[in-house]
Amino acid sequence: MSDATSQLTTADGRPLKAALATAQARARRKAFFLVAPLLLFVLITFILPIGQMLTRSLYHDGFSAVTPNLGQWFAANPEGTEPDEAAFAALAADLAKMKADKTAGEAGTRMNYTVPGTRSLFTSTARGADKLQPPFKEALLAEDKKWGDPIIWASMRAASSPWTTDFYLIATDRQRTADGGIEKVPENERIYLWLFGKTFVLSGLITFICLLLAFPIAHLLATLPMAKANLLMILVLLPFWTSLLVRTTSWIVLLQGQGVVNNILVSLGIVGDDGRLAMIYNQTGTIIVMTHILLPFMVLPLYSVMRTIKPTYARAARSLGATSWTTFRRIYLPLTLPGIGAGALLVFILAVGYYITPALVGGADGQLISNLIQFHMSKSNWSLAAALSGMLLAGVLVLYWLYDRLIGIDKLKLG
Amino acid sequence: MALPVYADPLERVWYYTYHAICVAIFIFLIAPILIVIPLSFNAEPYFTFTPKMLRLDPEGFSLRWYDLLLTFGMAAPDGVRDSSWWADVWQNATWVKAAKNSIIIGFWSTIVATVLGTLAALGLARSEMPFRRTIMAILISPMIVPIIIIATGLFFFYSNPCSILGTECGRLTSTYTGVVLAHATLGIPFVIITVTATLIGFDQSLSRAAASLGASPSYTFFKIVLPLILPGVISGALFAFVTSFDEVVAVLFIAGPDQQTIPRQMWNGIREQISPAILSVATILVLISISLLATVELLRRRSERIRGVTPQ
Amino acid sequence: MQEHLPQHGENGVTTAARNDGFVVFDRVQKSYDGVSLVVKDLNLSIGKGEFLTMLGPSGSGKTTCLMMLAGFETATNGEIRLDGRNINLVPPHKRGIGMVFQNYALFPHMTVGENLAFPLEVRGMGKDEREAKIKRALDMVQMGAFANRRPAQLSGGQQQRIALARALVFDPALVLMDEPLGALDKQLREHMQFEIKHLHESLGITVVYVTHDQGEALTMSDRVAVFNDGKIQQLAPPADLYERPDNSFVAQFIGENNKLPGTIEELSGDKALVRLATGELIDATPVNVTSKGQQTLVSIRPERVEFKPEMMPPGAHMIDATVLEVIYMGDILRVRLRVAGADDFVMKMRNTLGQTKLTPGQNIKIGWHPADARALDLN
Repeated sequence: MSDATSQLTTADGRPLKAALATAQARARRKAFFLVAPLLLFVLITFILPIGQMLTRSLYHDGFSAVTPNLGQWFAANPEGTEPDEAAFAALAADLAKMKADKTAGEAGTRMNYTVPGTRSLFTSTARGADKLQPPFKEALLAEDKKWGDPIIWASMRAASSPWTTDFYLIATDRQRTADGGIEKVPENERIYLWLFGKTFVLSGLITFICLLLAFPIAHLLATLPMAKANLLMILVLLPFWTSLLVRTTSWIVLLQGQGVVNNILVSLGIVGDDGRLAMIYNQTGTIIVMTHILLPFMVLPLYSVMRTIKPTYARAARSLGATSWTTFRRIYLPLTLPGIGAGALLVFILAVGYYITPALVGGADGQLISNLIQFHMSKSNWSLAAALSGMLLAGVLVLYWLYDRLIGIDKLKLG
Repeated sequence: MALPVYADPLERVWYYTYHAICVAIFIFLIAPILIVIPLSFNAEPYFTFTPKMLRLDPEGFSLRWYDLLLTFGMAAPDGVRDSSWWADVWQNATWVKAAKNSIIIGFWSTIVATVLGTLAALGLARSEMPFRRTIMAILISPMIVPIIIIATGLFFFYSNPCSILGTECGRLTSTYTGVVLAHATLGIPFVIITVTATLIGFDQSLSRAAASLGASPSYTFFKIVLPLILPGVISGALFAFVTSFDEVVAVLFIAGPDQQTIPRQMWNGIREQISPAILSVATILVLISISLLATVELLRRRSERIRGVTPQ
Repeated sequence: MQEHLPQHGENGVTTAARNDGFVVFDRVQKSYDGVSLVVKDLNLSIGKGEFLTMLGPSGSGKTTCLMMLAGFETATNGEIRLDGRNINLVPPHKRGIGMVFQNYALFPHMTVGENLAFPLEVRGMGKDEREAKIKRALDMVQMGAFANRRPAQLSGGQQQRIALARALVFDPALVLMDEPLGALDKQLREHMQFEIKHLHESLGITVVYVTHDQGEALTMSDRVAVFNDGKIQQLAPPADLYERPDNSFVAQFIGENNKLPGTIEELSGDKALVRLATGELIDATPVNVTSKGQQTLVSIRPERVEFKPEMMPPGAHMIDATVLEVIYMGDILRVRLRVAGADDFVMKMRNTLGQTKLTPGQNIKIGWHPADARALDLN
């Protein structure tokens, strides 16, 4: 068998392995050329914009661009140096320049992210900055004694470079201490991590409800004859094809105070006219509507797995003496696990990034992390929105990677 | 699924309970979609069934909200309904303009997504494709990445698309091109998924047979491969169209007043002055989705019939 | 590796005597990974009008050879010539070779007529001429009434006929068939074997046929190339292959076969005496044994075993056997014997009216004509 296998050559004497490699490389290039246009398109219209946006989470020159003198002083003096007269002189010079260029607001806004309430410190001091006389330390402290606060100086040092991790600190409810360390913000100000947590918990809850609702009907569809199953499948696919805004509108109509469900409950005497249930514009509304919207994404993978489970397995278990419950628990349920995994991961991934539904029916307490990103965008807190986006994206990509590893992205099916 | 004769009482109870649960879940799925249809004919500006509607009194029903869809935003809504009135509708009515925008944007983004997506799916179906899995994951990711992140990224990128080249050029915000490109990106995963699924079922020996009968590779593609994968391509295109037709977040971020689409108008309607006119739009959209679903279903069956696959 | 090209067919069945090298494989090698060869130094010359079958177990390289001839695989080394022309670099659609695929590969979105029109349209043939040819091809396979059907509306056998008609409709001089009858049931398969053979004879085309079914190979072919391990083990007309296998692989692969291991006791010309492990002596014809004392495997067909002394040639050796079981198979009786300590020796006897009855436990003597026992290499 091993005759001449070690040194195969082609007709013209080239090593066979090299010749095969060339031929394969040609085939690979051909395949790649078909994909290349789309890859380039997605790169430009999708990856690049997101990448560019994410750099904003690490880059903010609102302060550094207008404080050249302070920047020099911070560069010359290591962290922990007590601000001396030279430092205050630099600050005074920068403030005077801010007044001339009308940029005090920008610098103040940047500082305000890390030390809330400092925006006015900059705008008010800058107003009279051109009249400041040496010694600048006393002059500035006379203007506002906050200028002596070590936290202000630590934060200005951090903001004096346009590249910063400040926004990730904020997005993880952390702040700088006067000595350059990092600490958690006071308990009552911790909003971001809490909202991330809430988003994940609600997504998990929605995924679980979807699984509870999807399992019975997927099983029913999988065990019915094909013709009947296809007919009932329409009931699953129609919501899938119906506009999200239509479905959200319908739920508002159904669930609002004067809506159909409350009217039915009142007319049946289950609740009083003054005790109408608040089922929309709150967290309950978000959960109900998102469950409805994401349910098909759970049913479809479950169904396609259940279809492949042959009834002979269950029959074999029964013939071996198992009760129907044991058969379900020991035979059927384990076989459906791939479908459960695929559906649950997909629903969870989609739920974590949901925006429209919570924005429309979530009220105050039904908002998710996406809505907070939008809020900061609308307030022009772009770097903070970018940092929050970066964290959300990282979470989603980990889940996506997990999905690809466990189920395989090429197994994704629609209808 | 029929109940066996030897079932014990507990099993009988469970059997009927199980079916009742399934019926309830199906109602949960479908009722919210169908409920808007009768309510859109409400004669009163309420979002619930009036006593007159419940009595099926004709006075309880009207087409006023559909009429409002035409007249809202018109220059002279109260005039005689002659050709100039209809021209006014065509030119000025808010919802008509939104529908036109939705269709134009949907059409072009579908074309872009389908052509590029089908080509890419053909490449991905080849066994020699390098980094197949990674590239597939990248191309599917617009479906997975939260829309708010995509919209935010596009918002900055479109304000100066040439910044990557270090230069300035026009902006893509508030342009049709910008919205079309964004929606094409969002539709691509659906095209990739459906066309790839179709290609998996494609019998490679058909291409070989065509070659052995003397057909060149390009002739084989247009005469044999394309006709057979066409149902999958059309399904993918419909998915892409629906994705665009239903998209609101990217439009909120990057579209200008000239590119307002139907979902954008509905968004306004739901957030601000919610009026039953929204329900009549919703009804029309539901009817459209029913017909699209029917089309996809017919295509699927046709494709199965052609291939001689009989549903078991 | 034996020499293949001078042919074996002296008791030639039909046409194989004249070989003009219409299709030639010249030192062809094929490797998929650059390390191992799936086809090893293949030399094969097929005459015009010949029906040649490539027979072998799966993975023996026979389908790869067919695919190289069709142009779907390229030879790693060596040359494939068609009618004297090197076709290594000719793409499949310019080779003009008809091919019948294993799963028929009928275009599902076209009617039968459109399927047949396809190769003619590609060749730019006018409509009238096309229709005449399609009609002729369909009539040839008795499917004239089916031109407007879709492939999915036809049975397996009908699809098979259409595939055949499509491969023939553009008058190729060479037709390749890749296990074309594999998906049919036994009866239909046997019927189609005759039809294909008949078409081959009446059209005068050259056919290269791939199968793993030895019965099919033996009934249809002018010559059979038995493949194993990327090599042709024997290339011969069917009768030679069955009665005079070149080596023990061919002997075992074609037909049922008894094997008796032993050592060469005497070797003279075309006669050999073999001593079995149990000490008995048997007669054999030496095939690829060369010297006394060599280990050998003697192969005897079950239907050539005799147990009646009067049927034996004079001087032939007979050995003891015990009847273990007699299986009734209709036309024949299959007798399992214990011979030379082994329990798997089979003898077939015709189920005639006056046939001797054998019962289990009975001791008999068996023997054979020395020409029917072939002393082969140990394999």
